Amino acid sequence: MSHGVYVAGMGLVCPLGEGVPGVVEALRLGEGAPEHVDVAEGFAWPVHRLPDAGGAWLDRLAAHVREVAAQCGGVDPRADVPLLIGSSSLDAGFEEEGGAPAGPFAGDLQTFGDAVAQALAWRGPVFTVSTACTSSLNAVLAAMDLLQAGEATQALVLGVELRNRFSVAGFGAMQLLSPQHARPFGAGRDGLVLGEAVAALHLTAAPARWRLRGGANIADGRNPTGAQHDTILAVCWQALVRSGLQPADIGLVKPQAAGSPANDAIEAGALRALFGAPPPMASFKGAIGHALGASGAAELALLMGCAEAQAWPAMQQAPEPALGVAFAGDGPLQPRHILALSIGFGGGHAALVLEDGEA
Amino acid sequence: MNAPMPGWRLAAQVDLSALPADWRDALARRLGQRPRRIGVWAELALYGACRCLDKAGEAALPPAARVRVWSLSGAQGAMRTGIGQVRAGLLPMPFHFMQSQPAMMLAALGQALDWRGDAAFVTGRDAQALLRLALAGAAPEGLLFGRVEEDGGRLRTAWQRWVPE
Repeated sequence: MSHGVYVAGMGLVCPLGEGVPGVVEALRLGEGAPEHVDVAEGFAWPVHRLPDAGGAWLDRLAAHVREVAAQCGGVDPRADVPLLIGSSSLDAGFEEEGGAPAGPFAGDLQTFGDAVAQALAWRGPVFTVSTACTSSLNAVLAAMDLLQAGEATQALVLGVELRNRFSVAGFGAMQLLSPQHARPFGAGRDGLVLGEAVAALHLTAAPARWRLRGGANIADGRNPTGAQHDTILAVCWQALVRSGLQPADIGLVKPQAAGSPANDAIEAGALRALFGAPPPMASFKGAIGHALGASGAAELALLMGCAEAQAWPAMQQAPEPALGVAFAGDGPLQPRHILALSIGFGGGHAALVLEDGEA
Repeated sequence: MNAPMPGWRLAAQVDLSALPADWRDALARRLGQRPRRIGVWAELALYGACRCLDKAGEAALPPAARVRVWSLSGAQGAMRTGIGQVRAGLLPMPFHFMQSQPAMMLAALGQALDWRGDAAFVTGRDAQALLRLALAGAAPEGLLFGRVEEDGGRLRTAWQRWVPE
């Protein structure tokens, strides 16, 4: 028997502030500007950064994950509640700082997960999902598997992407970053702008306003740095079929739309092929940046927050007309079903359908 | 091995803690070409996955099967080199950055197997918990579950093919 999965609480720390309602209001007002960050000699790129709270990297990590968990209303860290952490850079910032007292790289890939669990005094199983930009959406899908299989009755999913130069320098070295600002689906878009964020989603089998209807993940290695038209269609259809829905049931889409010249066009083309005339889009990366592995959870939290507040981001630039997509505007919009899409490095394509029980 | 969840059986497994000296050549022969610039950690993943499918007698992984890979080392060499370059005030070489990302290993694995589907890198300290998570929600086409470690110079990998009972 498959159990329903619902969102019992959500938390967010991002460059626009702490807490989903406050960030939604900042989005509505069109706030959000990156700052230029020197990452290597002679190389600087814009990044949407969290305020510099000072202190050691691990202390900042602990403070942020405690904050987002508290925003969820407190999650009982019982021994049977799983914690799933989605992150792309993991603790690269910690290693850049010098790493453990034993020296850099004294730990391993789960040292980051251990630090998060320790900050929360977590007693249940801890998993770290690292699939680049789809990491925390895949963490949500993994948590859904556990709840739907009856393996757990609740789970905490975190998306964590904190300050490090490795990600910025790596994307910069690959010439994927915009020198100014991201223009999702916009004319003249010239690349991504990275962002820092920590987000939390408390998932439960107990009915709540937001239900996670169904999702899918497809890794397509044909183009490891790009979106694939047919794979976007396939992952959206899988998510719809698992949700028992058709494209016409979707009232809003949260696209990847990171501001990439080619990938945004491929994504828009696939959405046109799926929907004919696509429903309105809600895009957050122009305001908070692309938070890589945290983006899935952060943008899901914002999506639900915007729908609850009936307030949508004031976009700095309209979509390029040739793409045939439109952003959600100021008017009333209360979709019952929302499709969230995440596409990333390594050919990762993930999709999830949300249902608003009050729409 | 006992199934960690009811309804599943282990169809094949390989434990390559002692690799043959020519394993990279064997991989190149198996793929018909030498993998280019994916790094030794990803090459090891490809080698282990191919060996496991061969042992299972499967010419191809079914599209609806699931792939889960875990590791505590990750692509340690590429990661340390890349972060070291940043600490030295340099930009990382693009291929060091790409090789440091587990998602790039998944892309290479998909290409090597001529397969696209539900593949993810999920790690942790408890191998049985990782396997249970991987099997929860897996389709009837089953699971290819692998561990790939690049611990200093010591390379080892282990793979399992799980199918419904």
